[in-house]
Amino acid sequence: MNQLLRTALSGLAMSGFGLGSLVALPGAASAQPRPPAAIQETMEIGDEPGRVSTEEVSITEGPYARQMVLFRSNEAPGTVVIHSAERFLYVVQGNGRALRYGIGVGREGFTWSGQVQVSRKAEWPDWRPPPEMLQRQPYLPRFMAGGPGNPMGARALYLGSTVFRIHGTNQPETIGQAISSGCFRLANGDISDLYDRVPVGTKVIIRHKATL
Amino acid sequence: MTGPAISVNLNKGQADMSKTSWIRRSGLGLAALAGFILPAAAGTLDTVKQRGTLQCGVSEGVASFSEQDAQGNWRGFDVDFCRAVAAAVLGDAGKVAFTPLSASQRFDALKGGKVDLLARNSTWTLGREAELGLAFAGITYHDGQGFLAKRSLKVDTALSLDKAKICVEAGTTTQLNLADFFKANSMTYEEKVYPSAAEAFAAFESGQCDALTRDQSALHGDRLRLAKPAEAIVLPDVISKEPLGPVVRSDDFPWFTLVKWVNFALVNAEEIGVSSTNLDEALKSTKPDVRRFVGAEGGFGKALGLDADWAVRAVKAGGNYAEIYERNLGTGSKLGIPRGLNQLWSMGGVLYAPPLR
Repeated sequence: MNQLLRTALSGLAMSGFGLGSLVALPGAASAQPRPPAAIQETMEIGDEPGRVSTEEVSITEGPYARQMVLFRSNEAPGTVVIHSAERFLYVVQGNGRALRYGIGVGREGFTWSGQVQVSRKAEWPDWRPPPEMLQRQPYLPRFMAGGPGNPMGARALYLGSTVFRIHGTNQPETIGQAISSGCFRLANGDISDLYDRVPVGTKVIIRHKATL
Repeated sequence: MTGPAISVNLNKGQADMSKTSWIRRSGLGLAALAGFILPAAAGTLDTVKQRGTLQCGVSEGVASFSEQDAQGNWRGFDVDFCRAVAAAVLGDAGKVAFTPLSASQRFDALKGGKVDLLARNSTWTLGREAELGLAFAGITYHDGQGFLAKRSLKVDTALSLDKAKICVEAGTTTQLNLADFFKANSMTYEEKVYPSAAEAFAAFESGQCDALTRDQSALHGDRLRLAKPAEAIVLPDVISKEPLGPVVRSDDFPWFTLVKWVNFALVNAEEIGVSSTNLDEALKSTKPDVRRFVGAEGGFGKALGLDADWAVRAVKAGGNYAEIYERNLGTGSKLGIPRGLNQLWSMGGVLYAPPLR
């Protein structure tokens, strides 16, 4: 723990982030359970650490607002279906309906399609940018504990044994865009809503645009 | 099957003997023979090619389907379909002459040859085909009756509208569908009937009913016209069938086939991942379905009376189905209508185009 914090502090100090974003971190971090070793805490995601978005921010208007839509599916109610090209995540409700959320997706990277399960859930997850990302953006911290300024946002749903997750964001205006480096991101209010509906073990089906 | 047997069969009352014997001599197969004798391209397609423009009948102004902007340019979902047909046939999406038609004028204008194609949010019904001599060349938009409900009701399905007050326009199939839906689901409702759609909308806005019912495409527009759109939601349920599609005359089968397959091409393009932004990449693809689509294999353009790259040109005009939908009606428009039924069959909707092969 101490070492992690030191890493976080030195990373943040190096990158010149203000004290404001640091103050809240230790408490939030110690409240979090550590992830199993198998799941890497390295994610390629947004690049505005320190920017604060409140837990309550949801998309309330327009097509990316959370809404019930017509969705024909043979999947059992509760199943999560992600259509990355559309920028939507669906929670199947049965009876021809699904609850739809607007998402942001990776520019590239996550091209894997198929079925996984939610393997773990976390509130205010920590963030460790992977080496490739640090190479491109050396100013990023090496570690950032979970909290309001963390690009991982308010909640995370871990996908199987992959490094990918469905998570929140401190950049809610990026919903509907392809800017994160591989994950599926929702506004914090929306990921919190989804988090409460989706237990560990939920089936997640991921579909991308057909390749040429 | 032999050549002579076929030629005798087709010869009945149609082809003259010299033509038949020439075909026999040259030993051409069935496809060439049929193309020779039947006037495959003698109708609308030739007329359009000679004229150099496609005459497309559209609405006088239905938001997001066909409307003119301040500069007089036509825009909308139906307009983009006309442009895709023009691009496939003439190689130029701009070569369309749009004819605005009222609901009562539209079918006569088509029958009378004033337009080559009608793309005017028209519902496909038996009567319109069997009685008017017209043919719907597929479905471009699956509309249907739905409900705009007050958010304060906290319902997310029409099945939860039991005992609700429903505003509806008088004397329409909408009113009948409403009655059928509630009866079929063992629910009751309080009907609030108004002489026009505008009055029904005004009554809903002023709080005289819990929900307003009419076609979903219109409800999404109605919602945006509310003083507080956030206080109402369009429920996901679709309770009637209003399939909208392009219409042609029923006496020109080759033209009917062509228009139908432009629609199928736009849907298939989405399904195989071909869009207006990756056509160069598509042309280099080694996947058989993509190669057939771009005309590198199959020779289907010629069979339609078009160039091999007809489908590529259709997509280049305004994108594949998803691009056309999202720009005019979906995420790229103010309406933001979810794809719903108008999503691919494999992605939660009912769009199902036969394979391009």
